[in-house]
Amino acid sequence: MNNTDPDMKMIQALNITKSFGAHTVLDNVTLEVKKGEVIAIIGPSGSGKSTLLRCFNGLEEIDSGRIIIEGDIFSEKDEKHHKDKISARAKREIAKKLGMVFQHFNLFPHMTVLGNVAEAPVTVLGQKKSDVIKNALMILDKVGLLDKKDAYPSKISGGQKQRVAIARALGMNPDIMLFDEPTSALDPELIGEVQKVISDLAKEKMTMLIVTHEMRFAGEVADRIIFMDEGKIIEDAKPADLFNNPEHPRIKTFIDKISRRDAE
Amino acid sequence: MENYLQYVADSAAFILEGSVLTLQLYAVTIIFAIPLGIMLALMKISKYQSLRYLLTFYTWVFRGTPLLLQLFFTYYGLSIIGINLQPFTAAALTFVINYSAYLTEIYRAGIESIDKGQYEAARALNMDYFQTMRRIILPQVVRRTIPPTCNEAITLVKDTALVVVIGMGDLLRSAKELFSRDFAITPFAIAAVIYLLMTTVIVYFFRKLEDKYSIYE
Repeated sequence: MNNTDPDMKMIQALNITKSFGAHTVLDNVTLEVKKGEVIAIIGPSGSGKSTLLRCFNGLEEIDSGRIIIEGDIFSEKDEKHHKDKISARAKREIAKKLGMVFQHFNLFPHMTVLGNVAEAPVTVLGQKKSDVIKNALMILDKVGLLDKKDAYPSKISGGQKQRVAIARALGMNPDIMLFDEPTSALDPELIGEVQKVISDLAKEKMTMLIVTHEMRFAGEVADRIIFMDEGKIIEDAKPADLFNNPEHPRIKTFIDKISRRDAE
Repeated sequence: MENYLQYVADSAAFILEGSVLTLQLYAVTIIFAIPLGIMLALMKISKYQSLRYLLTFYTWVFRGTPLLLQLFFTYYGLSIIGINLQPFTAAALTFVINYSAYLTEIYRAGIESIDKGQYEAARALNMDYFQTMRRIILPQVVRRTIPPTCNEAITLVKDTALVVVIGMGDLLRSAKELFSRDFAITPFAIAAVIYLLMTTVIVYFFRKLEDKYSIYE
């Protein structure tokens, strides 16, 4: 696989479905993400946005379909055999290429900011501690939190927590970053600092999928916007096209509603 | 007065001699029961149903019957079927198994109280089960379960007195011997002070531990 190929497919999801009991969360979703692309996923709650993201790094298992990460099959199930053909070990190896940021940060409360960032590279990748620390400090500097390196998560603000969470994911040197509503749990005045870090990553051509309710941010940062409803991708378009003349009336209603809320 | 002080000193020395065994039994129980409790707690919430049933049965039996009965069973009961244990071995075995049962439930509850976001974050960082438990979950569980573990540690000091029923000499038995010899209340008072000293040390130790871990809260 040629890593410099701009058309390289980072994620290919083919006909994936997922149900929780009788409720279908993902309904035959197909999606391709190219290297360096930033994709915002929007849609009403319960539309399957987060679940889609979580399938890409194995936090959720698909019921059927196929997920390919950078050319390697990550998950493959057919309708009849509800058993994944890929071993847990192989999955973990492939999943190293993805970093994830959660709505509620999920920082490790018993570790300092630096500890949070340095933990996995040492424990999981077995990298030399001194190298890891050096790299972690560099990343913390990048997200503007070098001065908080010795603080515990309980002592910093929500925006700072989320920036640490981003730094923690970057510490594993991923090719793809998944953001699951990264600013939804933040006070309005703290949203900007997190969005700035994500925008900076976009400038560095990090491949990113961002589930968000922030329409303006989605429009600014994303190359493509995907609108999901009831487990399906209803529209997949450039921000300008999606916002200005959406094909689907459902999208217009949704965007109007969100914009009204934001204007209030 | 001077005579009385001499009497107290002599009595205390004699009772302290008896408390050596109490302390040994205490140490053995703590050293084995805490790690065992953590291990069994992890098994009790594992995906293996038979293991879960087995451990549910285990905690049911050992928390549901008197420690005294368990002590009788290990020392006298087993000797009937040809297993003759030294008193200390029998006592240590019983205490470890009994206390592990309580600690298993304490740590199980502790593990289940950890937010599932912690597991997800660990998983998203590609940690495997053991890395997740060792580095992320258990350190937080230990912190959260300090108070109930401290309770168990205090109860254990006093439970060690039960070993007199299998003929072992401990702190309380030494005090009782002095009482029988002198028909005086002082030996009991001395025993009480020694127990209080021991529990005070334990409470102090756990308090320090709690302080150490509370820096992140």
